[in-house]
Amino acid sequence: MKIRLEDLQACFQGVIPATMATADAEGEPNVTYISQVYYVDPSHVALSCQFFNKTRRNVAENPYAAVDLWDPRTFELYRLELRFDHLETAGPLFDTMAARIQVIASHSGMKGIFRLLSADVYEVLSLRRVAEFVDPLASPPAEPADWDPESPSHPPPDQLSELRGLQAISGRIARAHDLEELLATTLAGLDELFTFGHSMVLVPDDRECRLVAIASRGYGAEGVGGEIAIGDGVMGIAAAERRMIRVAGVGTEIRYGRTIRERFADREGRRDLAPEIPLPGLPDARAQLALPLLAGDRLVGVLGFESRDPLAFDEWDEAFLQIVANQIAMGIDRMQEDEEEAAPAVPARPALEAPAECDRKLRFVYFRNDETIFLGDEYLVRNVPAKIFWKILNQHQREGRTEFSNRELRMDPSLGLPGYKDNLESRLILLRKRLAEKCPWVRMVPVRRGRFALEIESAVELIERDSA
Amino acid sequence: MITPELARFIESGISVLVGTRDARLRPDCVRAAGVRADAAAGTLTVFLPAATAERALANLADNGRIAVTVTRAIDHRSLQIKGGVVEVRPSSPDEQSFIERYLELLAVDWGHVGVPRKSTRSMNAWPAYTVHLRAETLFEQTPGPDAGQRLTPEAAAQSHRAGAR
Repeated sequence: MKIRLEDLQACFQGVIPATMATADAEGEPNVTYISQVYYVDPSHVALSCQFFNKTRRNVAENPYAAVDLWDPRTFELYRLELRFDHLETAGPLFDTMAARIQVIASHSGMKGIFRLLSADVYEVLSLRRVAEFVDPLASPPAEPADWDPESPSHPPPDQLSELRGLQAISGRIARAHDLEELLATTLAGLDELFTFGHSMVLVPDDRECRLVAIASRGYGAEGVGGEIAIGDGVMGIAAAERRMIRVAGVGTEIRYGRTIRERFADREGRRDLAPEIPLPGLPDARAQLALPLLAGDRLVGVLGFESRDPLAFDEWDEAFLQIVANQIAMGIDRMQEDEEEAAPAVPARPALEAPAECDRKLRFVYFRNDETIFLGDEYLVRNVPAKIFWKILNQHQREGRTEFSNRELRMDPSLGLPGYKDNLESRLILLRKRLAEKCPWVRMVPVRRGRFALEIESAVELIERDSA
Repeated sequence: MITPELARFIESGISVLVGTRDARLRPDCVRAAGVRADAAAGTLTVFLPAATAERALANLADNGRIAVTVTRAIDHRSLQIKGGVVEVRPSSPDEQSFIERYLELLAVDWGHVGVPRKSTRSMNAWPAYTVHLRAETLFEQTPGPDAGQRLTPEAAAQSHRAGAR
């Protein structure tokens, strides 16, 4: 059976580095590893050029190249004969490849230093499987589960069950009463129905320079509240570029970036290298997939997935999760619209009063300069969620108020919420979860859509300062 | 050309790639099943599996030009040696046990980066051909701004100490 280039998708994930030979015009051969081969179309592949190296100079003189690719599941070898065709420095192919290079660069503190110079497109002259590479008497080829027995890949796709699964998730999104429920039930559904065990939703903060996780699955309590700068890491770059990014063999990429960083540091003594950025989420993730959540042209968040299996995500996952991401984005957008103040469905609950004999006293300090609240000496929350919390704590203390509406928060200019599509819901989720984690004696309990009660089980002291 | 320190790095049980080209300058690459370095003589001996090296062997018979890249998986430290082939012959039984030891060391190096031992050891490495070559030039091959730069043996030894990192 003739092998087609499009059948080699697993080889294009970059889990096992490919090798490449070229020769200059005098006939001197050159052989090297290449980090990834990109599939372009049934008769073309692309290689990334980050440095004008010997390979690049050779193909300028003599356009022929040989590339060996390995299937990371079976360790089978595929041999390609290539002829350099053209290079691209803009356009969709370049952008896709550049985003991946940016991920490596941002993780290893080399943003702007280590970048894609061009996408070099080669025509595939021949392709064959080198059946003899693997010893037929050796143990059977490794299965993908070998990479991580703990994390099995997705169950075999069955079109009807996939469609029913998507229908179930879509239903959860449509029926959710609030944003917290929408995100929690969707991530749970993706785990239960499709075995996406590590997922998160991050939203941009008020200054649109960082992403904050407001929902997560498979990371424990620590998952929510995690932050990453927009433009850093897979999630941050997906947000900055508004582009889906899939990275396999994350460990390999980071090691590769680290090596290049060391070479820059050793040889040039560069001082502009930023500190290396730890991966958000799983410390041992080997595959990541990040999808921007877009409502019209607005970025409302990022949907991120991780796995310890380097081959966990493929083109099916990209297509499937893009549908889910679009639904989540529309859901977030819907939740952010000004809610109708419905008539009370349930009577407002009386708030808990601080027990008179309670000797616990919570000391909250608000720092005006960086809009941060500390509980005692411990950081609690900042920016808009901090301003909201400070407002309601003060009103509770001064006026004895216990119930608040989203609408009054929206109308308060001092909170600095934008007039339209203000992300208030996600700010409230973040605040509620930070309290549950750091300060369980203070709770914000929804009483009905658009209203919540402030419950405080302790005496409270409020202190306001200009700066720390 | 090859310092004793460099010879230790080359022989430390790490990945070995071989590049050749035919009379029309069409290149070929193949994974070798081990390498030996003779610092005093300035020569290398690489072992090419018969199963996968048919084209490489034909190319070497045609013109003798060869490039050998050694790479340590854990940190991508790489060095490329270029030269001319002196002799090609079927590998001896002694050399078979060298290849066997090499593959065990390679399985350890690759194991550090997540390649299962079973995969590394499934490589069809025997029978093999022994390729003896004279090293003429050394090149930095570690990914980065200096990749492809020609190295003096001293500079190469400096950045490729066998025990480094």
